[in-house]
Amino acid sequence: MRRIWAVSTNTIRQALRMKVAAIFIVLLLVLLPVMGLSATGDGTLKGRLQTFVSYGLSLTSLLLSLLTIIASIHAITSDIEQRQIYTVVTKPIRRYQIILGKALGVIVLDIALLVLFGGIVYGVTSLMPRFLNASDEEVQAARNEFYTARASLVPPVLDVQKEVDELYARLVKNDQVDVIYPNMTREEVLKQLTNRKRLEKRAAAVGQTLVWEFRNVKPRDPNQSLFVRFKYDVSVTPPDEQVYGAWQVGDVRQLQPGAQQMQTPILPVTRKDTVRKFWELEAPASVVAKDGFLAVAFFNPPLNETTVLFPLEDGLEVLYKADTFTGNFVRGVLLILCRLVFLACLGAMAASFLSFPVAILFCLVIFVTGTTSGFILDSFGYMSENVSLVYTYTIQGIIQLLPRLDQYNPTTFLVPARLMTWGFLGQVVLVLVLLKTTLLLALALLIFSFRELAKVVV
Amino acid sequence: MIMDYAIETIGLTKIFSDWWGRAKVYAVDDLNLQIRSNEVFGLLGPNGSGKTTTIKMLLGLLHPTKGHALVLGGDATHPKISARVGFLPEESYLYRFLNARETLDFYGRLFGLDAKTREMRIEALLEMVGLKAVASRPIGTYSKGMARRIGLAQALINDPDLLILDEPTTGLDPIGTRQIKDLILKLSERGKTVLLCSHLLGDVEDVCHRIAILYGGKVQAQGQVKELLQQTNKRQIITDAVSDSTVHRIRQILSDAQAECEVTAPMEKLETFFIRTVVEAQQQAKPTSGAVSTTQIGDFLTVGSGRENILDKLVAPSVSDKTPAEPVRTETVQPRETVIPEANKDLLRKLTETSGSPRTERVSSPEGAAAQPVETTVEARQQEVKKRLLDQLTKDDTAKPPAQDGDSGHA
Repeated sequence: MRRIWAVSTNTIRQALRMKVAAIFIVLLLVLLPVMGLSATGDGTLKGRLQTFVSYGLSLTSLLLSLLTIIASIHAITSDIEQRQIYTVVTKPIRRYQIILGKALGVIVLDIALLVLFGGIVYGVTSLMPRFLNASDEEVQAARNEFYTARASLVPPVLDVQKEVDELYARLVKNDQVDVIYPNMTREEVLKQLTNRKRLEKRAAAVGQTLVWEFRNVKPRDPNQSLFVRFKYDVSVTPPDEQVYGAWQVGDVRQLQPGAQQMQTPILPVTRKDTVRKFWELEAPASVVAKDGFLAVAFFNPPLNETTVLFPLEDGLEVLYKADTFTGNFVRGVLLILCRLVFLACLGAMAASFLSFPVAILFCLVIFVTGTTSGFILDSFGYMSENVSLVYTYTIQGIIQLLPRLDQYNPTTFLVPARLMTWGFLGQVVLVLVLLKTTLLLALALLIFSFRELAKVVV
Repeated sequence: MIMDYAIETIGLTKIFSDWWGRAKVYAVDDLNLQIRSNEVFGLLGPNGSGKTTTIKMLLGLLHPTKGHALVLGGDATHPKISARVGFLPEESYLYRFLNARETLDFYGRLFGLDAKTREMRIEALLEMVGLKAVASRPIGTYSKGMARRIGLAQALINDPDLLILDEPTTGLDPIGTRQIKDLILKLSERGKTVLLCSHLLGDVEDVCHRIAILYGGKVQAQGQVKELLQQTNKRQIITDAVSDSTVHRIRQILSDAQAECEVTAPMEKLETFFIRTVVEAQQQAKPTSGAVSTTQIGDFLTVGSGRENILDKLVAPSVSDKTPAEPVRTETVQPRETVIPEANKDLLRKLTETSGSPRTERVSSPEGAAAQPVETTVEARQQEVKKRLLDQLTKDDTAKPPAQDGDSGHA
């Protein structure tokens, strides 16, 4: 361990003195405060905070990711190319200790920088209200919708298999499939039908009511608010792009015939909101029933003259305070660390057999693919319908190894003040760090232990 | 049987193949070397003869195509073995962003040395290689010779039993070269094994007990330097500057014995002359360009062989009055890790001495037997003492004066 640590400290020195790290550090030190001043968002305090946290953490994450890739690769390849490895590997140190030491050095550097820049972002976000002399109203809004960590409840995806099958059978019977869905495979048609059916369940025609029921709602404090976050979509856009909504939030079971007297309040709200934008409806947490039941009902009033839909992915969710902003922020930073640990080991793996430029290229490709992996997976999934057998046994395995960096993005939690649970973080640690990173590291150690380190000179 | 050798290679072969796996070059071809413990072994050969490739295979930097190599009876990549090996590559590949002290500290830590030991050894080594004054400058700013020195220090930080030096003197000035050679001899006297790989024949001749000449990856000649070079049909007698009549009488005697004889004034070696000149300049405190403060071969030698002395002195500063005349013997008797010699005393004495009469010291040391009589005229008891030490070196240096009965130190 002492020897590994010797290599680590040397790696850190190298990163700092060879100005690899310095550039990134200076960039961040300059950019973060500037962003703090210039980020305006939608002009409100909350908007500013959201913009700053989003950009600040994304930038930190991006620059540190690049730094990690470059530093970990450089630490190993420069030793081999400039042959310091001759004098290191001939000392009583095992080769795997060298690789571990290098990776550890980069990770320690990352931790230090994350603490520094995470601290700056956190500091700026905490001080911003005072700094901007924000009004009490704005501060209150920010407190409710930003400086918090809210658990999110999403309506379950409905099972529409039966209806879809029936519909498809009917279409086939009437020979309408090719007419309505020309040039599509059966799977594609079924997929479209499924989406259509699901959306139907989330559409309210004029005069209709939609009800979503949630269980196991556990607000941290009944005196605080919970929020229904929603986004309207419409079949016919009104001239002012706004629609009315009559909402009811609470335990609607109490309204059913034969129910006991009201135990918890039911909040009625009527409001008018712009379509295709996120809105939040505030309700006291006391509307939640003792057994954790909560219902949200939406009535589409005749004033609207259009069907109102709630998009499948993000049309509606219920948020309630479940933890503090600080806790969430810390987990967000840890999430970035997970990604950096992965990248450090990826760099070590690439550098164990590739030269500097090739290894950089390799890692950047993985990094970019990882950050857009949702898209990549989709496109491969699409392809798979045609070549499914080949795909399943070859590419799929490889793609599963890709880091799902786009899913591990802290800003998707911090900007809407959404709770990132320890469970989620633990899952990331398990999959990304323990599983994939260990795999990479093992590969790196194996390659590095058996390769010839000297160059062929005759 | 294996343990008898510090290094043994058995059918060691390295073939560099092209991309298709077809054999292209036999860099090393069925090499069988046996290097005994406590031997200074020279591996010679022209460029591209496989010297460096051999060393790289010994150290596990390259994998042999066939055969295998044993270092100190085992695999050199095993930490237990490599802890006892010091290696100076053909160029000093060091971290440019570290300074000399940090570099040595880093390598010391790789050996798992504790902080106290590291600190003491680093100071001793820096002093030895004459880089103390520039120890806090990044190595990237060093000249080639300075980098070479720190590379050497790096190879010595673990007080190795086996020292593998690949072209140790390239880039060094003559003084530095002389110092390295003296150091090698000193280490040898302390029971270390040295594998010296070079194509600078003078260096090898000065210090090596045995040599092997490689060409095309094969050993072309191998044996004791003395045996290989000694002209058994000739004798050399060196005298003081005796008068012509004495010379005449000697000629007479020789012609009686039916022998030819040639009488000349011995020439100084250029190395000797150079060193003396530089030392004189330093005496006059002329400013020097580099930070290389290497005037004192003696320093280097003694500190080099007895690095631990400084450590020990700090603990037990009573090693005063062993005479520097005997450092070799005392040291060789001591077990490796616990050398408690007098070197530091030595060092101090030499520092003073050198300033007193450096000239004689310089001259006598490398020049060898030829210059000896002249030097004896200079008095000073320490000089005498020193000379005895230097004489031993001298015998190695020239390796040929049979007149002196060749009982050189390496027997």
